[in-house]
Amino acid sequence: MAASEAAQKIRTAIDTLKSSGVRERPLVEVLGLSHQMADAMQAFFGSLDRSIISEFQYLADYIQKARNEIAGLRPNDIGSTRIPGASQELDAVVRDTERATETIMSEGEALVAMQPTNLESYKAEVDAAILRIFEACSFQDLTGQRIKKVITTLRHIEDRVSRFAGALGVQDGAATETAEEARDRELLLNGPAKDGPSTSQDDIDALFA
Amino acid sequence: MAVDLSMPVLVVDDYQTMIRIIRNLLTQLGFRNIDEAKDGRQALDKMRACKYGLVISDWNMEPMTGYELLQQVRASDQLKATPFIMVTAESKTENVIAAKKAGVNNYIVKPFNAETLKGKLKAVLGEF
Repeated sequence: MAASEAAQKIRTAIDTLKSSGVRERPLVEVLGLSHQMADAMQAFFGSLDRSIISEFQYLADYIQKARNEIAGLRPNDIGSTRIPGASQELDAVVRDTERATETIMSEGEALVAMQPTNLESYKAEVDAAILRIFEACSFQDLTGQRIKKVITTLRHIEDRVSRFAGALGVQDGAATETAEEARDRELLLNGPAKDGPSTSQDDIDALFA
Repeated sequence: MAVDLSMPVLVVDDYQTMIRIIRNLLTQLGFRNIDEAKDGRQALDKMRACKYGLVISDWNMEPMTGYELLQQVRASDQLKATPFIMVTAESKTENVIAAKKAGVNNYIVKPFNAETLKGKLKAVLGEF
């Protein structure tokens, strides 16, 4: 029963009682009108309850689904372990790379600066320097393994976020350009291309010919 | 006219390793007076204080990029004649065209080798 219909029935019942005087009406008739009011209210609140229960049930199901999906994301694990772990791995990559570069550059500079006086000792020094360069190059194996770990973490997060967005039907909002993005766009800061230079040196040279 | 290998050359890059690589290559080519700056702003300050015969600059630096440095240099009566080579990983055609419009003398895309650097130096400064 619609709210307006229930209200109208109750109003009619009250008006009937008022217009005739409650004391002058037979008790049976008053009870009948009361019964009529009770029926109207019961019908109204019954329908009201069903629609609210249905809405609340939907919301509860949605929240439970979201909770399950968020739990599946393991946000605490991502926030407390995976992202800091990936960050530490990348820091180590930078550190290892810098250390190796420093060694290789220093050895190269020392080789260039050598003033050979004796061929045998010169060869021994060159061999030793080259050996140290080879050793320094072993950083690549470690950094490769570290970067693989970071990639695995990123894929883990990507998979879970995609699944979460899909399960909850999340749509992308309008993209808002940050101040940093605006600066990059205005100053043409594109960074290195993914698969080598997007314009070859030969093509660039042609522009300056 | 032969290139004056004693002229001051300013290398601008926010990565010390890249400065070191370019410095070593320039030294190998005979340049003896090589200075460095870590971004466009520091480079501009140095250029206002000392006359450089050549600037070799990266593009992507903070707070002032190599592109902004180039624009500032070309807008300055004191500095606009300074030869300027961009050495950068920014390899999009729009970057190259923008740099050329801004007055860059040559453009090297990273990674590069000694031969490429030497070729561009010759193109900008002449034989040496």
